[in-house]
Formats: sequence, structure tokens, C-alpha cells
Amino acid sequence: MNNLLENPWIRGAIVSAPLLILLVGFLAVPLSYIVWGSFEGSKFNFSHYARVFASETNLNILRYTLRTGLIVTLVSLAAGYPVAYLLTKLKSRALSVVSVFLLIPLFTAFLIRTYAWMVILGREGIINNALIWLGITKEPLTLLNTTFAVVLGMSHVFIPTAIFTMYSAMVRIDHDVARAAQILGAKPVQAFLRVYFPLTLPGVFSAGILIFISAIGFYITPALLGGPSDTMISQLIVAQMTTLLNFEHGYASSIVLLLVTIAVLFIASLFIPLEMIWSSSTVAASDEKPRLAARLFKKVKRAVDPVLSVTETTVHAATRPLLTRSAAWLWAYTIVVLVFLTAPLIVVVILSFSSSPFVVFPPPGLSLQWWEKLANATDWHRSFFFSVQLGIAAACVATIIGTMGAFWLVRTRFPFKKMLFLFALSPLMVPVVIIATSLYVFEARLHILGTFGGLVMGHVLLAVPYVIVVMAAALRNFDPSLEPAAAVHGARPLQTLRLVTLPILKPALLTAGLLAFLTSFDELLVGLFLLGRQTPTLPVKFWGDIAYQIDPLLSTASTLIVVLVTASIITVQFIRDRHNTRISQRIAE
Amino acid sequence: MSTSLEMKNIQKFYGPLHVVKDFDLHIQPGEFVTFLGPSGSGKTTALKMIAGFETPTSGDIFLGKQSIVDLPAYERGIGMVFQNYALFPHMTVAENVAFPLTVRKAPRQETREKVDRALQLVKMEQYGGRYPNQLSGGQQQRIALARAIVFNPSILLMDEPLGALDRHLREHMKIEIMRIQKELNVTVVFVTHDQDEALTMSDRIAVINEGRVVQVDDSKSLYGKPKNRFVASFVGESNMLPCQVERVENGAGNVTVAGIAPGVAQLTGQSGGDRGWLFVRPEHIDIGLRRPSPGPVNALDGVVENALFLGEMTRYLVRCGDETITVKQQNRGLGHFPGGTQVTVSWKPQDCTILN
Repeated sequence: MNNLLENPWIRGAIVSAPLLILLVGFLAVPLSYIVWGSFEGSKFNFSHYARVFASETNLNILRYTLRTGLIVTLVSLAAGYPVAYLLTKLKSRALSVVSVFLLIPLFTAFLIRTYAWMVILGREGIINNALIWLGITKEPLTLLNTTFAVVLGMSHVFIPTAIFTMYSAMVRIDHDVARAAQILGAKPVQAFLRVYFPLTLPGVFSAGILIFISAIGFYITPALLGGPSDTMISQLIVAQMTTLLNFEHGYASSIVLLLVTIAVLFIASLFIPLEMIWSSSTVAASDEKPRLAARLFKKVKRAVDPVLSVTETTVHAATRPLLTRSAAWLWAYTIVVLVFLTAPLIVVVILSFSSSPFVVFPPPGLSLQWWEKLANATDWHRSFFFSVQLGIAAACVATIIGTMGAFWLVRTRFPFKKMLFLFALSPLMVPVVIIATSLYVFEARLHILGTFGGLVMGHVLLAVPYVIVVMAAALRNFDPSLEPAAAVHGARPLQTLRLVTLPILKPALLTAGLLAFLTSFDELLVGLFLLGRQTPTLPVKFWGDIAYQIDPLLSTASTLIVVLVTASIITVQFIRDRHNTRISQRIAE
Repeated sequence: MSTSLEMKNIQKFYGPLHVVKDFDLHIQPGEFVTFLGPSGSGKTTALKMIAGFETPTSGDIFLGKQSIVDLPAYERGIGMVFQNYALFPHMTVAENVAFPLTVRKAPRQETREKVDRALQLVKMEQYGGRYPNQLSGGQQQRIALARAIVFNPSILLMDEPLGALDRHLREHMKIEIMRIQKELNVTVVFVTHDQDEALTMSDRIAVINEGRVVQVDDSKSLYGKPKNRFVASFVGESNMLPCQVERVENGAGNVTVAGIAPGVAQLTGQSGGDRGWLFVRPEHIDIGLRRPSPGPVNALDGVVENALFLGEMTRYLVRCGDETITVKQQNRGLGHFPGGTQVTVSWKPQDCTILN
């Protein structure tokens, strides 16, 4: 056994097999099915593509999808940038507090957040009630089912992502650089525009790409908040596959969406290393020549230099009185963003105690009736336990496969390592709606559609990349001399793994497992397609009820979920902090 | 064009923490002054207040005749070299050096000339097109220096600039910095915790401990005539022996050293009956085989506990009763005393001082 394990090829094969089987078997093969099916296989009938592009409606949907994606991306980046900047300046305690306020919305299911916006923007919602109460309008405004609602809801979804992605890039920029610029004579606005901002551009860019490709494949929010003219391409695909049953057309639309995504990623790869988008820690400070982006930026800079100078002077004149060392306005802004991010959740929580049978805000009175109803709602209980079961199963499988894969990707040397790392992250790049439809078709062929195993594999596929990102980062920070040290003291390879490697990686494993669980717990589309006749998962149940009627019972269920998610985030954060302080104390001693 | 810098009664509190106390210092134009102190002594905070990254709680700082406490950093016109260099990674070396001129909107031609001159001064003229991460630590250091002087700042601040370099490079850069300082005749404030750097490079050294300037002097006086025990033990190696002043005679004190031996030492304001510490440098102590009767003054009998051969010299630890005395002797063919040898150590009255 130990002899076999010493052969690097055999070890590599054992460690990499589960990941490769998963990616090839449940992603590559199903996708090729779709591609094959989109031109009816050997018939090479490309008429479905022609239909996608011939119909004015479809073209409008494509255009609308791209435009909404772009707007949402820009709004999220602009709203998140100052917050990410403030985070880089915070000490550890304040950072933990602020990041909990960001993590809770980040990990609250898209469905719940979207539901909250339905409550807020509805005819009887807070905004309309407030406007009428203030006497600004007499009639309630139509806020729901508008493009505005879609952009608002989606920005709400993506701002935390924007903040964390930009933060992880910004935090590695030395603040001394900005200080150096100032002592050398740069006014604050100059120091920002000429030194700090250019250094953050790769982070901003990768956050933008991440948000854009997620946004153009987004389903839940546009489906619930948008009107008929706000249809996005993923809704089109779902409609073609489920209600119109026009499969080839659905395949063709999926491929168009996939090609757009690939094109975006290809363009992005000219400017930044792609793996930076999902895991900034993997990109080592490189000695290579600055990429196209930097060169392009230089040219742009030379061109806009006069404009830049004028801007600098005016901005400096305008902001000079505002510049205080305490950065009070930055804090004020951050608090506004945090309120924007958490307020919808608070509305949901308050609504769960409503005494009214309808969704009215503010509620006319308080009561526990909805909680009692939830306590007696056996269908919700079944869904809840099924989702927990599914989440645990998916998290266990994904953590094992992902951790093994991360070991393989980090520890072994082989050519095309970067490519393989990107391949391992590809479930994050392919729009979920395409993964869902392709698995649907593929699992039907294998006759595992509607089985628990089939559903678990779908969720594992979506969760594994997160596990790999977390574990790869942890493994790269792992002191490489610890394992030889264990070996020298007589530990066999498996003992080293059990006694040294895994205990040190415990916090990362915990984070990875939690991420995998939450991915499964919040997942709608794959569940919708692969569920079959099983008990509906919580998001599927939720989805069905929203479509059917909106009542405060949904708020109650949401509140329960938010509380559970919050508790698990705080617990994991706490365990991680404790682990970290223990290790750093040991070093200090 | 160099300027004087004056710090007047600076106090700095972080909440209840008093980190800089009664800081008073006048630096002449063209002078090279070093803030020397252990880490956490407040020397970096003092430097940050000069640069404008921290505001003093009270007190005033003058650059030439102008008070600068209310000026933001970017209007002070100070050059600074950071501990980790803080070069802008997205700009080439030439763009980095040009930065102070670019933000001041200097004409392009003038900028190019000044950048070339600054790069020449630090001997890096052929590296203008490189990026900082393509340079070694020593080269980055030179670029940081060039960037700090390119706009003829009235004063140059350096925050532990040699800390990240290896020993050999550090020796080399010390000389380079001194050469450039003389060539430009610029006022320099240099912060370090390394006494060797301070002693070699500075015109004057301000020793800082617990937020207070303890002594400001040139290297020789600081080393030879420390004002108190902290300075004596922080700058160079020293022996401190407990003693009591018996009488004052002709400005010198007759003392009893370690309760046993008579001695004569210079006084720093003590009078008869005072207790204090006799301070003497290890290299000022002579060591010889035990004589039947020790000399009349400043001599102790002891046993060699430990003899360390250091190449150019030998370092002895000699136990004399309760005290251990460090002796450094040049290896110039004189006797060598292995551990266990009975010896007598002695020193001249003009080489020892009584400190409180």
C-alpha cells in the first residue's frame, strides 16, 4: 500500500480521479450533448440557430440581457468600491463586524432576497406606502415588474460579491504606496487617480467580469421582479425547455449564451489571469511584463492626460474641505450600503410577525400566527429536512472531491496546470441554467433523473469549484516543511495526513464545507430540473409558493433560514478566528 | 537648497497612550540627524509627524521659518524613503522617479532632465525602462532614493531604509547615502534602531527612549560621554558597576567600586555620598595576569570565565566578585588568557564616568 502510494503517477491518478470523473462525466459530456443536439447531431441542421437570430423577440431578449448585465455590473462596482477600500483600512475586530453584515446578505438565498424586494416594491410595499403617507403621490407607483426593479434586485445580489472580490485584490496593495505619493507632492485626488486606482484596476476588472457573466445567466431575479419586456435569456431557455418543449431551440439558445460567456472570458483573459476572477490568492506576484491591460491603460492615460489634470484640479478644489483624516464620509457611505444590503432582510423578519393575512408593510399589528402556521406546515418541514439532507450529502461529497482535487492541483507538477485549474472552476463559468438543462437531458438518458443521487451530483458539480478555491488557497499557504518534518519523525504518509496536514487545514475544510452546503441549500434551477417526483427542496418549494401567492408565511420561512445561515456563518467565523489566534499565539511564544 | 527643521515641544497621545513626550529638536540646514531608539520608542511616530501622516497633539514643527503642522503631506515638499520603498509597481523606474514632478505639472523636458540627473546620481541610469519588481532590493532602494530627491526637497526623511538589505549591501548603501547627502547638501532625518548605521552616518544622533529625546550629540560624544545609563547601554557595549562617591576632588570623584575597590572617575553632577553606576567601555579596560597587589585605583581582581576569539579582538568575560566585566582586547600579539586564568582588570580615570 505504502509502496504504491510512493509512485507519484499512481498517487496522482488516485487523487485526481474523482474530480476529473465529475467534471468530464457531469459537465463536459452533458454539454457536448447539448451542442450535438442543437444541430440535431449528424443532421447538421443549423436552422435552430437561424431561428434564434432571425426572431426580433429573441434578439431583443439577447440585447436586453447584455444591457442589464452591463448596468448591474457597473452599479455593483461603483457601489462596492468605496466599501472595499474602507475594508482594507480596518483593523481585525471592526473588519469582522462589517464582514458579517456583508456575509449575511451574500449567503442569503437569491430567492429570499428577491422576495424581500417584491415585498418592498409591491403596490402595498414600503416605498409606495411611504410615498403616499408623505403625500408625494396619490396612487401607488408601479415599481414591481419593471427594469428598475430588476436592476435594483440584481445589484443587491451582486454588491457583496463586488465588495469581496475587489477587497481581496485591494488588501494586497500597500497603503504606504498612497502615502508615498502624497509626501512626494500628489494631492489626495492625484494619489488616488494616478497610484491607488490603477493598482486596483485588475481587481475591479475581475469583479466586473465575475458579475457580468453571472448576471447574464441570471434567472430568479428577472423572473420575479421583471415585467414581460424584461425577459432575460435564461428565462427564454427555461421556457423553451419546460413549457414550450422546444428542446432544439432551447439548446441553441443555451449555446448562444455559452458562447457569449466564453467570448467575455476570452477578452478578459487578455487583460488579467483568469483564475484571479475566482481566487485572487492563487495569482502570485508575477515578474512577467504587464499585460495588454497595462499597456492599453498607459496609452489611454497619455490620451486623457489633459482631462485628467483638469479633473484633478477641480475635484481637489471641491473635495479639499471634505478631506479629513478620520474618513467619516467613507464610514457614512459604507453604512448606507450596509443598510441597503441588510434592510430587505430586516423587512422580511419584521413581516414574519405580522398580524395581517396579507403582505402589508408596516404590518398593522404583531402576532405569532405565521410562526404557528409554519410550525404546523408539514410540507415546509419535509422540504426543510430534505434540503438539509441534500445539502449535507452534497457538501460531504463536494468537500472530499474538491479537497482531493485541490491537493492534486497544488501539490503535483505537470504541464497545463493553469488550464486544468480553470477547467476545475468551469462549473462557475458556465451559466447555471445551462448546467441545469444539460444535466436534465443527460440524466434522463442515464435514467437517474429524479433520483436523490442524480440531484446530489448536480449540486456537487456546482459546489466543487468553491471547495477547490478555498482549499487551494489554504494549501498554498501551508508551510511546506511541516510534512517532511512529520516524516522525519517517523510518520507514514497517511499518518502525516491524519495528524498534521488535515488538522492544520481544518478551518479551511470547515469553510469549504459550509460554502458547499450553502450552495446546495440555496440552489433553485438545478433542483427544479433534476427533482422529478421527490419532495421539493426548500428553494423549489419557495419558488412554487411565490408563483402561487405571496403571503407572510414565506417571510417566516425566510426568517428561519436567514437565522440558521447567520448562525452557521458566525460559528464558522468564530472557529476560524480561534484557530488563527491560537496559531499566531504559538508563533508569538 | 537645504532647510532647517525645528520641532518645538511636541506631544502625541493615542488615546491615553503618551507616545511622544516633550520632543524638542533643532536641525541645522544640511545636517544629517538620526533618530535612534529601540522599536516602540516613538521615533517612527516622530518622523510621521514631520511627514504629515500624523498630527501632533500639541507643539509645533517649523520647516525653515514656516510652521507645517497644519499643512497636508502633499504641500510640505518633503522627500521620503520608506522602509519597504513603496515604489509604484505599475510604473516604470523612470515614471516612478518622475512622479513628484508629474504631479507638480512640471514641463516634460525639465522632468526628463531631472529624472536623468537623479538616476545618474544613484547610478541607475540604464534601468529607467524596467518595472520595480524586476529589480533587486538594493536597486529598488536606489530608485526610492532617486524619487525622493528628484524634486529638490528641502528635507529628506528616511524610515529604516537599510533594514531590508543584507549586510554587505547595507555597508555599501551607507556610503552611497552619505555621498549623495554631501553632494546635494540636503537636510536628512534618518530613523533607525541600528546603532552602527547611526554612528557611521550622522552628524548628530537623537537617542529616543519611551517617547522622549534622551540625548542629542555627535557620534563621538554620544559614545564617549553618554548622559545616562540608557544611552550608555543602548549605544555600544558597556560595563556598569555599582559604586558610591566618597569625595569630590578637582572635579573628579573618589569612589568605591562594587563595594570593594577604590577608584577615581569623572562625575556628571554627583556629590559626596551619592550612589551611582561606574560606566566604562570594554575596549578601555586592560587585562593582565594577577599581580600580587592590585594597582592603587580602578583595578579589580577576577577570574576569566569565558574567552571568545573574534578575529581582530578577543572578548573576555571576567568575574570579579558579584560583577561580570566585559573586556575587549585587540589581538596584537599580547598574551591570551584562557578560561580560569587569575587576572587583574584595570582602567584609566579619564575613561570612566559615574552615571545616575
